[in-house]
Amino acid sequence: MTAILENTADVPPNPTTPENPEDVKGLSQGRIVLKRFFGHTGAVVSIVVLLSVLVLAISAIGLGPIPGWWKYSYLQTPPLVNGGKPTLQVFPFSLGEHPFGQDRVGRDLFAMTMRGTQISMFIMVLVGAIAALVGVLIGSSAGFFRGKTEAVLMRFTDMIIIIPALIAAAVVANSAKSVIALALFLGLVSWTGMARLVRGDFLTLREREFVDAARLAGASNSRIIFKHILPNAVGVITVNTTLLMSAAILTETALSYVGLGVKSPDVSLGSLISANQAAFATRPWLFWWPGIFIVVICLTINFIGDGLRDAFDPRQKKFALRRVKETRDRPDLYPGSKAPDHLTTGGSTTIAAGGLYESLDRPADMGEDNDDGEGRR
Amino acid sequence: MTTYILRRLLASLLILLGASFIVYMLIAYSGDPLAEIRSSNSPSKADQMARRTELLHLDVPPALRYFIWLSGAVKCVVPFAGQCDLGVTLQNQPVTAALANAIPTTLQLVTTAALLAILLGVTIGVITALRQYSTLDYSVTFITFLFFSLPVFWVAVLLKEFGAIGFNDFLRDPFIANSTILVISLIVGAVWTVIIAGTLKRRLLTFGVAFLVTVLVLYYLSVTRWFTTPQLGVVIVAVTGIAAAYGFTVLFAGLQNRRALYSALITVGIGLVMYFAIQPLLANANLWIIIGLGILAIGVGLLVGYLMGGYDRGQSMKAAALTSFAVAFLILLDRYMQAWPAYMSNPRIRNRPIATIGAETPGLEGDFWIQGLDKYTHLILPTIALILISLASYTRYSRASMLEVMGQDYVRTARAKGLSERVVVTRHAFRNAMIPLATIVAIDIGGLIGGAVITENVFSFKGMGQLFLTGLHNIDPNPVMGVFLVTGITAVTFNLLADLTYSALDPRVRVKA
Amino acid sequence: MKIRRISAAAAVLAAGALVLTACSNTPTDTASPSESAAATTGGNIVVAETNEFFSFNSSTANGNTDINSKISLATNSNFYYIDGDLKVQRDESFGTIEKTSDDPLTVTYTVNEGETWSDGEPIDADDLILAWAVYSGFYDDGGNPDEEGNPTTGTSYFSYAGSTEGLSLTEFPEIGEDGRSITLTYSKPFSDWEVSFGLDRPAHVVAKGGGLADGQALIDLLKDKPRGDAAAPVATDTALKAVADFYNTGFDSRTLPSDPSLYLSSGPYIVSDVVEGQSVTMVANDKYEGDFGPKLDEITVRTIADPSAMVQALQNGEVDVISPQANADTLAALEGLDGVDVHKGNQLAYDHIDLNFSGVFADQNVRKAFLKTIPRQAILDAIITPLDPEAKVLDSQLFVPAQDGYADAIANNGSSDFAEPDIAGAKELLAGATPTIRILYNVNNPNRVDAFTLIQQSATEAGFIIDDQGDAKWGSRLGDGSYDASIFGWINSGVGVSGVPQIFGTGAASNFNGFTDPSADELMGELITTTDVDEQTSLQQEIDAKIFAADYGLPFFQSVGVDAVAERVEGIDAYNPNQNGVWWNVWNWSVNDG
Repeated sequence: MTAILENTADVPPNPTTPENPEDVKGLSQGRIVLKRFFGHTGAVVSIVVLLSVLVLAISAIGLGPIPGWWKYSYLQTPPLVNGGKPTLQVFPFSLGEHPFGQDRVGRDLFAMTMRGTQISMFIMVLVGAIAALVGVLIGSSAGFFRGKTEAVLMRFTDMIIIIPALIAAAVVANSAKSVIALALFLGLVSWTGMARLVRGDFLTLREREFVDAARLAGASNSRIIFKHILPNAVGVITVNTTLLMSAAILTETALSYVGLGVKSPDVSLGSLISANQAAFATRPWLFWWPGIFIVVICLTINFIGDGLRDAFDPRQKKFALRRVKETRDRPDLYPGSKAPDHLTTGGSTTIAAGGLYESLDRPADMGEDNDDGEGRR
Repeated sequence: MTTYILRRLLASLLILLGASFIVYMLIAYSGDPLAEIRSSNSPSKADQMARRTELLHLDVPPALRYFIWLSGAVKCVVPFAGQCDLGVTLQNQPVTAALANAIPTTLQLVTTAALLAILLGVTIGVITALRQYSTLDYSVTFITFLFFSLPVFWVAVLLKEFGAIGFNDFLRDPFIANSTILVISLIVGAVWTVIIAGTLKRRLLTFGVAFLVTVLVLYYLSVTRWFTTPQLGVVIVAVTGIAAAYGFTVLFAGLQNRRALYSALITVGIGLVMYFAIQPLLANANLWIIIGLGILAIGVGLLVGYLMGGYDRGQSMKAAALTSFAVAFLILLDRYMQAWPAYMSNPRIRNRPIATIGAETPGLEGDFWIQGLDKYTHLILPTIALILISLASYTRYSRASMLEVMGQDYVRTARAKGLSERVVVTRHAFRNAMIPLATIVAIDIGGLIGGAVITENVFSFKGMGQLFLTGLHNIDPNPVMGVFLVTGITAVTFNLLADLTYSALDPRVRVKA
Repeated sequence: MKIRRISAAAAVLAAGALVLTACSNTPTDTASPSESAAATTGGNIVVAETNEFFSFNSSTANGNTDINSKISLATNSNFYYIDGDLKVQRDESFGTIEKTSDDPLTVTYTVNEGETWSDGEPIDADDLILAWAVYSGFYDDGGNPDEEGNPTTGTSYFSYAGSTEGLSLTEFPEIGEDGRSITLTYSKPFSDWEVSFGLDRPAHVVAKGGGLADGQALIDLLKDKPRGDAAAPVATDTALKAVADFYNTGFDSRTLPSDPSLYLSSGPYIVSDVVEGQSVTMVANDKYEGDFGPKLDEITVRTIADPSAMVQALQNGEVDVISPQANADTLAALEGLDGVDVHKGNQLAYDHIDLNFSGVFADQNVRKAFLKTIPRQAILDAIITPLDPEAKVLDSQLFVPAQDGYADAIANNGSSDFAEPDIAGAKELLAGATPTIRILYNVNNPNRVDAFTLIQQSATEAGFIIDDQGDAKWGSRLGDGSYDASIFGWINSGVGVSGVPQIFGTGAASNFNGFTDPSADELMGELITTTDVDEQTSLQQEIDAKIFAADYGLPFFQSVGVDAVAERVEGIDAYNPNQNGVWWNVWNWSVNDG
């Protein structure tokens, strides 16, 4: 999807307010994106919630050698209080001894959930970063250089795509216990969607005038890729990365369920709920607390991704179906009978581009399909 | 074109070879197949290890072992090369036999779910796109993301608790309390209000009608103990059929096209006559009869539409065929309902029809209808679980695609021509929005055969996912490779198909040989 | 125009409401044409099992899994069975075991007249000879196993999951004149003689499968063949190899074989259907005439791997009997169900920690100090007490509390030294040293992980440095010296004593920690040749004490097992700890809902 267009005039006209100054005024690209993003209530709320979760998780039990404010660590086994029931009270607010309860050995579930949140978010970020890095490198090289390079890289991508993530996880699970290794492997099998997507975008962008201009000015290939084309693909990459990240959390949860996820004594949110699955009817708090955190994290990330997509993609601006209809019924409110030509060129470039190249691929905007089903169904 | 396909096929073969080698090495190094025996205190340890070593050629280094496997596997792919040999499992079963058993189970589980998810997802996606940033859009987005974020085994546990155990308990005395009726009706009313939207007056009207209808229906179901002896009966078939006739006409032709409406209504009439006419035939039905009747129904619809003619025959035929199919489906549903009491009272069911495990009740005897009901009662929960988690992606894709198309010039042009919004949406926008979706669907279907590992596990379906997972757990390379081969081949094939479909659907995309 | 839109919307709305709730105004009274299933008399029971059935021969090393054994139990008769109290009971309605002499130990097995397989073929000497050939390993001359366990010389014929130690002491049996009995003569006394022989697969089927004419031909083939000698291997006997190969793999099938002779029954039930990976259905065997006749028409076994799925299936009435892996939550969920009887008891499996007699633990003081830190009560409280509040720490390496010798054993074996962690005592023994201990355990087993967590905390207090070697591949590391202590579980067979030297004997196959004690070896040699039960018990008590004296390691607890049974099922009254679980008295099962 050609997300960022060179000038803001590519925004389709809003028929009722054609002279809306904000659409025409010279804002920088980043400004526009930010402005749109902050207009997306769901995304803004999500980002606040996600950050609070992160801050809570880090401040509560600390990070590495830095201690947190919570009195227990996720490894300690204090004696069971009140059968391990949660002591959290909302009104009047009090945390009590074990706000989320304790597991059967007495470990504090709040500390464990915080640790799990840290680990899950760590996996999420690492998988997102690795997948984005590898995917962007491979996708951009393939899309920019084309020819043999493209053929080899894309066939390689096709090969990795059919390797099941479960196998990679099984290898890690049986040979290393480290969370980093797990995240690394997950990242190394989940970049494929990103690569296809970025390639598609590059195929379109490299034909644009500004690339020719840069080339004429004597810019090197790497400069063209990183300074000229990549910034224009950043929308697609960002959106796809957020989706990859939420898929990573869920994949880790699924892996934990089949015994291939994070290994105890370390915990992730996924390993907590799968370990306590049987407690669903009897000690539901063991199941619900980590579960709620997973859902909140995934939900917020998806909303952020949604907000980013809307922010980066000018064509997805609200098109106001109803208003279009109303204005059509009332011609006096509809100032121009046709839109100026230069405003409406963005639409079909991606799809049309597919025909220019010798190897067909899915249209670029479909690349978000990041195997979200494969790992977790 | 042919050169292109051939080249792609060759590339796919190389891809499969490369990937299968990687997968084989991964599984070979993922653990020790003898670990389980090594840690046992069984007296015949040495013997067991020796046999397993022989079975899996563990004395050969993994890289070479791959070629032993490959020499057998090649025979499966290359025609006329002889007996297909994918090795045996740790339990001495040929992998080919295991696959032959697992593939149908998986397909049975995932196809319905996939079809329904696509249908629902696309519908919801298109509707939310048309109502971008409305309450409906936000609620649907929230709900689909929520489902997407739920771990599937969690969904499964909840579904079993309420959908199976709860519902079966309810069936013991299918009486709905007044308070429950009220709550459900309020919710249904609210949902319809959000869906229909419009002016305040219209919303209130919608809410009122929906609320009242739901209250009446639920009350009726409750007092007649409908759930133990469900019936549609000819009247409901008729009413629903007529509603369908109006619905399809609105969608495909517009109500002003009277001929289309009349064609659809005529097929409803024919359907009602058939309702009585085919009951004896249905009593001895089998799958082929049902399929035949379904095709016949569509044929009748097309014929009626054709005969009615009019300025746009195609519209009439479409509306009539779909209506006819809907009526046929209702008759089928009604027939299944007739078999329900017998199914419930079967000694193996003992009045608890909704199942939580497996694909069928073992040893259940009965006619086509009983067997069919048994399949559906087993499939319903895993299907719902799969739909819930895969709904989000289809909804989002079709929404995005539709939004993109709605911003295109030709849509604006169509409006400018004065076409009705219905025509703009169904003819111009929807069709174009579905083009990119077709490729997603093709690729998704290619991935489906890999099974739904966790869903299969939770619902005790012995499909491809289970085969794969058990193999992985026991460090048993052959079944894992077998599953991989099947999924790899389908994925590669469907990937190719997806590209070809795309070029076929979108004339702007050309395949360059 | 506007009106039309609303009416269209209303039509769609109404249609939607109706379709959604699928209602009817006219309940027509059509009688259902569907036939109802045939009337039943004995009823049926559905049992949930974790593993998938795959072989009708549960004696081979490959086929010896719990589920295959259970199906085999229900479809076979034998001279004896193990009852709910782990006592050997004879089935005189099938045949008799007669010990005719103690020195040399001589035992005669006689099948009653008229006992037949379900195809009508009588059960007689050829079947017993086949079983003997398998259980004795008499003809095997495979030897010099390589690293992977493959014999590099000679041939191993029949694959047998059990120990051939006992019957290898016998020569080719003497066949009785009635043609239904054989007599085994042991060259020296063997303690577990009573459970080392029984009926196996039908010889006429195995013979035919191996290319022989009938059971008599099999006897002829075996009769004059000399004992195999691993030291002097001879060329493979192809005829015998063919028979053995058929025995080893011919009964493996995940579906119902088209050849009914592969699933012949000599017991109360006979398999009638197998759906691969999903279910096994057994019906009453109308050819069975013994005392343990079937009370049900049908038993269906369904495979459910997920324990919570098992509980919900029981709750939903889809299965009647489940034996899920026990944990506190599963147990609590089961106890909360209506109409379900829950039985729990101690399994024969027990968790323990073993110390390697090399590396840092070569020094007995370090071993003792480490064992002193182990919080066994806390481990028990965390893992077992929620399941069974009465549970006590296991204090013997050889006995479980249900066995007669347990009380005396723990009084004298020195286990009382380790009743409570003694950090001060451990520090004293260490004298300021801070040895690093690498502990191996299975990271995928939450019980082991919890035990490790507790040990780590306690040992660290005494100055030990704990190196976490938790590993999913723990099994393949056993005995390789890459760790100092290991936490895992053994399963006690509950019957017989020949398992003892396999674990504690010097250089034995399952002696992973290098424990060696000549005086214990001597006692164990004596143990397996003693046939007197009381004598066995006192020998075991002595061995137990020696193991504790060497600071070998510590047992933690017996695992708790649980089964849950719908109230309509009768005949399952208590938890049975041996590997057949609830199945031990399958012939007693019935239903009470008519």
